[in-house]
Amino acid sequence: MTPAPTTLTASGLTLRYGGTRALDDVSLSLTRGVTGLLGPNGAGKTTLLRVLATAVPPDGGGFRALGHDPRTSAGRLALRRELGYLPQTPGFHPDFTAFEFVDYVAILKELTDRGARHREVRRVLEAVDLSEVRGKRIKRLSGGMRQRVALAAALVGDPGFLVLDEPTVGLDPEQRMRFRELVAEAGEGRTVLLSTHQTEDVAMLCHRVVVLAHGRVRFEGTPAELTARAAGRVWSSARRDPAARAGWRTGTGTFRNVGDPPEGADLLEPTLEDGYLLTLDGDSAAVTA
Amino acid sequence: MRTTSRSLLRRGRGPLLRALVPPVWRTLPWRAAAVAGTGGLLLAGSTRLPERVPDADAGWAVLRLVALLGALAFGFLLDDPARHTTAATPVGRAVRAGLRAGLALPVAAAWWTAALFLVPGPARPPAGPVTLEAAAMATTALALATTVIRCTDATRPGRATAVRLALAALAVALVPDRWGLLNLPGDPWWTGTQQRWASALVLTALLVGAGTPEPLRRWSPGRRPLAGRPGRTSPAR
Repeated sequence: MTPAPTTLTASGLTLRYGGTRALDDVSLSLTRGVTGLLGPNGAGKTTLLRVLATAVPPDGGGFRALGHDPRTSAGRLALRRELGYLPQTPGFHPDFTAFEFVDYVAILKELTDRGARHREVRRVLEAVDLSEVRGKRIKRLSGGMRQRVALAAALVGDPGFLVLDEPTVGLDPEQRMRFRELVAEAGEGRTVLLSTHQTEDVAMLCHRVVVLAHGRVRFEGTPAELTARAAGRVWSSARRDPAARAGWRTGTGTFRNVGDPPEGADLLEPTLEDGYLLTLDGDSAAVTA
Repeated sequence: MRTTSRSLLRRGRGPLLRALVPPVWRTLPWRAAAVAGTGGLLLAGSTRLPERVPDADAGWAVLRLVALLGALAFGFLLDDPARHTTAATPVGRAVRAGLRAGLALPVAAAWWTAALFLVPGPARPPAGPVTLEAAAMATTALALATTVIRCTDATRPGRATAVRLALAALAVALVPDRWGLLNLPGDPWWTGTQQRWASALVLTALLVGAGTPEPLRRWSPGRRPLAGRPGRTSPAR
């Protein structure tokens, strides 16, 4: 099987906020499909996404996406024409209806032909299952619906590169499932970078995963490779094993431990979350219960 | 699957700006404009009450207060709750902010003209100098709002701007006449006052122009070359 062509290459991205290095020499590459970006709070995920969405320039390093280099204004404009961005806290004009808001974003994406634009807006609202409430003012929509309006705004204009910053935050399980379907669909033929706290989202959606901590890339590979990092390092015990780097009581009353198991330990099948926790080891506090 | 083609896009700036006018018009800060506008017109109209015979000094004072009210409303002009959602669209913030200002300007001009003519002729200050002051106050408000946007992630800089502008007005009132901005025609420092207003107008307009494009840092092609090696990962991998 030939590897998928690289659609985004970032090299040495660095960005400081005051004395804090939000991004510290971040290098990564993306291909078509959904790539998950995992990391604890303050890891630099949102900053990285804002940089890749051309909303903020880096202090150092650079990247090239879909053949465009955003360090020149022409390259930045060309990239923005192929970009869909869903920020962490999407804002709206609350008196606009869902249709009017997505239509407004469509105009900002230079879709000026009114008829064609309205067809496109109807298409994306249909895709996110909002056709029936498209005439409702955004201030009257639920949080989940607003999030879908924001996704529709990101999808409008058929962008080739989608940057989604924690799109499932605040959604109930059913909404999250629906959102996963949408993102999976969006990932067909596009490059999608999905920032999330949910390892299940990554396990279910992503063909690649990047783990970021303290502004540095700690892992870049497939979800299976991340899971494999925990192979032979997850075990069950009646009490929390003090040797474990992370451990918590499960629903069955036993403890699930992650770390370096003692001899003869009752090993368990690792999950993506285990691999993620071990990758973060030393970067964040151990999970305890 | 991606279903649409890019063929439905882009025909140049003219159609784009025309398409943007209706939604941008709707997002202008009409509530702030209505409050400040009504207040300003009432204030200017108060000079026509029969029991009051205003003199030229009172005319100046009233119109300066009216101008301040207008400037306070201008501080809300850049409020944009969708700022982050639309941050990475091809139509940049400079175009959107310019369009907002372009749409607000005729409304503001009509309002200011009405306020000016509500003040009875004998008490009415000369239109040029007082309009210069009003324009400088408005651009100062815009410059403050622009600075808030440029330096923070705020989506609604209006309130912060209004507070700062009010404090600035208070500070101006405390400045000694020699360096002040509130002298009147015939005062010894009148010419200097007008020059200071003109300078404030130019400086704040330049600040607005320089501060409007997003983002804060400049993209710099020469900072550090791309490695150009697809798939390169950080050493910490």
